[in-house]
This record gives sequence, structure tokens and C-alpha cells, in this order.
Amino acid sequence: MTTRMLGWLALLGLGGGLVAGFGYAPREVAQGNVQRIMYLHVPAILTAYLAFALVLIGSVGYLATRQLRWDRLAAAAAELGVLFTGVTIISGSIWGRPTWGVWWTWDARLTSTAVLLLVYVGYLLLRGMVDEPDARARYAAVVGILGAANIPIVHFSVKWWRALHQPSTILGPEPSPIATPIALALLVNWVAFTLLFAYFLARRMAIARLEEHA
Amino acid sequence: MSPMPDNWGYVLAAYGVAAVLLVGYWRYLAARAHELSQPVRGGRKGQA
Amino acid sequence: MTAYARRTWIVLWKDLLTERRSKESLNALLFFALLLLFLFEFALGPDRERLRAALPGLLWLGFVLSGLLGLGRSFIVERDNDCWDGLRLTPGDKSAIYLGKLLGNCAMMLAVEAVLLGLFGVFYDLALGPVLAPLVAVLVPGTLGLAAVATLFAAMTAHLRARELLFPVLLLPAQVPLLLAAVSATQAALLGQPLSEVSHWMKLLIGADVVYVVIGLLTFEFVLDA
Repeated sequence: MTTRMLGWLALLGLGGGLVAGFGYAPREVAQGNVQRIMYLHVPAILTAYLAFALVLIGSVGYLATRQLRWDRLAAAAAELGVLFTGVTIISGSIWGRPTWGVWWTWDARLTSTAVLLLVYVGYLLLRGMVDEPDARARYAAVVGILGAANIPIVHFSVKWWRALHQPSTILGPEPSPIATPIALALLVNWVAFTLLFAYFLARRMAIARLEEHA
Repeated sequence: MSPMPDNWGYVLAAYGVAAVLLVGYWRYLAARAHELSQPVRGGRKGQA
Repeated sequence: MTAYARRTWIVLWKDLLTERRSKESLNALLFFALLLLFLFEFALGPDRERLRAALPGLLWLGFVLSGLLGLGRSFIVERDNDCWDGLRLTPGDKSAIYLGKLLGNCAMMLAVEAVLLGLFGVFYDLALGPVLAPLVAVLVPGTLGLAAVATLFAAMTAHLRARELLFPVLLLPAQVPLLLAAVSATQAALLGQPLSEVSHWMKLLIGADVVYVVIGLLTFEFVLDA
């Protein structure tokens, strides 16, 4: 039962991540301990990007082969992508309140991430409204491909848009020269999140397979 | 320049919300898997 | 004319002819654009300066909202008149159908936009004459991008019972970069700046258009399969 093993590994990783983030990593000079939210926030968005990359792969895979397992991959990955993007945005917002003084700001990174969320929530809504498996897979694949192709376009458009309106610099989540303990803690948490993602993905795809035969 | 206050409340809130979401999703997976492993009663159609 | 071009032309000509004879969609759409104008005026209140500052954004809001209404119906005619199988069984490259529909939709949207632009000029006392060329230079790629994605999604949602909901929900997030680019470039055009100052936006517009049209051409047949 490799999925179960994966689950335990993920749990172990998350535990290690917490230790690294709170025990090993030092208190950050400029921001104080609130910076530790980054050990959650950064791995979450990285995992979300991984998820959306898999949505693209699943989408192209289905259109190329018409085998439903590619669609199962895309659907499961999209769900997880939305989940982890949600964690990213919420943790980022909570971090922003004491640091920037606001719950939300329309800076480039936040806005791009929010748009990403909108695209894939739309993807999931579409899936929910199409009953026939082949049509659902085809439509979702097209939306998935367009959504993925749009990611760099959104990124640049939002970046230039903000540059126009906000010449003042805003503190980014991580300090520019990253101290080694902080980088290490980030790495451990990132690996943990990737394991968790893999575990969730495996389980979600297995469920999708069962649902097809229900 | 005085150092930032620690704001542990916010740290707790962030990790707490993340935990709720992730554990919640895990429980959804467990529930769905359990549901699907029951013997089928009268042609129930699932939705992927 | 190649067979591909002929097929594209046939679809385009059919749509133009249907529209010219019945005039239903275009007239209602134009009226909708006029109503939007009033809506913006009432919603943004009596502050002249605030309205003028928001004009590029309002213009594109008007275009996008009109597009949501007008473009979502791209394939209704085929769906309602049992022509869907006819589309599906067309021999050869289905992307010609997409191209024909896309060009027809562009024509419709440009007509609506021209009218809306004119109305804006009248109601908000804009001197459009001197800035018309750069304005059109922004409007065309912006509209093409909107229509490219909309035509694809319209075909996709034509058969779904939640069409009116899903079409905007899918289209709007995809339009974000186009909206940002088009509004910025339109603002520059309206202010009389040369377009070279917003060349990065223009490049983004055209680059995005290429991506969207190519994806549309490549994936349309998968949307058409029933």
C-alpha cells in the first residue's frame, strides 16, 4: 500500500517542517516571528504551481490519448491546486495584516495568485456542470490548456499594471539575501508539502477511478 | 528602530486555518473513499 | 481559394447573412450598449472628473459586458436549429468553422464598439477625431483576443444547461490580461500619447491574441465532438 506509506511520509515531513520552521529557524530580524508564516505560505504556492502544471499535462494527455486516467489526473490536480492556492492566499493575507497593516492589497503577486484561483475555480465549476464523462473531460481539457497558457500572460500583465500604479516598493514575503537556516527550513517544508500533495493526489485519483465504476 | 512585535496570534491563525483546510480535505477524501467502498445500492451514479 | 478558406468564408457569410436578415442580436446588443452608458453615469455619480478619469476602464467594461451577452450566443443558432451535427460532420479541418465564427464575432463586436465609442464621445464630450487611429489600433487586437476565447467557450457552453452562468465565469478570468493591457493602452491613446509609449502593452495584446487564436484553432474540434 504505497499510498498509505506516502501518507505517513507526508505526516513525518510536515512534523519535520514544523520543527524546522519553529525550532531550527531563527527569529527574523526585520519582521519578527510573524515571518514564520512564510514556511507555510511559500511551500503552499509552490505546490499549487506543481498542481497546475499537472492539470496542463493531464489536459493535453487526455486530448492526445482519450484515456480517462489523464482526465482523472487533471481533475484531481485542479482540486488540489485550488486547495493550496487557497492556503497560500489566506496565509498571505494573515501575514499581511500585521506587516503591511492591511488584509489585502492589489500588488502584483497577490493579484496574480487571486486570478489563478479564479481560473481554476471556474475549471472546477465547469466540471461540476457537465455530466457526460467524455464531454466533461474534453471541455475541462480545453479550459485547462487555455488556463495554463494564460498564466505567464497574466503574470506579466499584472506586474506591469502594478508597476504603473505603485512606484513605491512593498516588502516581499522573503528577505532578499536569504539566510541559510531560513532557506533550509523553507526547503524542508516544501518537501513536506510536496509529499502531502502526492499523497492527496494518489487518493483523489483512486476515488475518481472508483466513481467511474460506481 | 524598535523590532517588530511577535504577533504569535497571527502565526497561530495562519497555521490554524491551513490545518483546518488540509485536514478537512483529508477527511473529505476518507469519507468519499469509505462511501465508494460500500456495496452499491441500486445504481447510484457518482460524479468525478 | 483553398478549401479551408472557402469553409471559413461560408461560415462567416452564413452568420453575416443571418444577422443582416433578422437583425435581432445586433440591435438588442447596440441598445444594451446604450443602456450601459446610462448605468455608468448613474453608478459613478455626478463627479465629472472621476468619470473622465475612469473612461478607458468604463469603455472596456462596456465592451466586455456587451461581449458577454453577444458572444455567448455565438452557437445558439446552430444549437436551436439542429445544425450541430452538421457542424460536427463537416469534412476536413474543423478549425475553419472556428475561424469563420471568430471573424463574424469580431465584426459584430467591432460594430458594437464603434457605436459605444461614438456614444461615449457624444455623452462625455470627447474629441475622438485626432486619436481615432491609435484607438482603433488598440481596439482591434483587444477585440480579437476577447472574441478568440469567447468563441471557443461559446461552443463549449452551447449545450450546457448552465450556459448563461458558465460562459461569463469561464471567460472573465481569462480576459484579465487583455483588460489590463487594453485599458492601459486606451488610456494612452485617449490622452494623445503615441502608442510607442505603451509598446509593451501592445506587444502583450498581440502576443496574447496569437496564443488564444492558436489554442482556439487547435482545440476547437475537441469542443465540437459530441
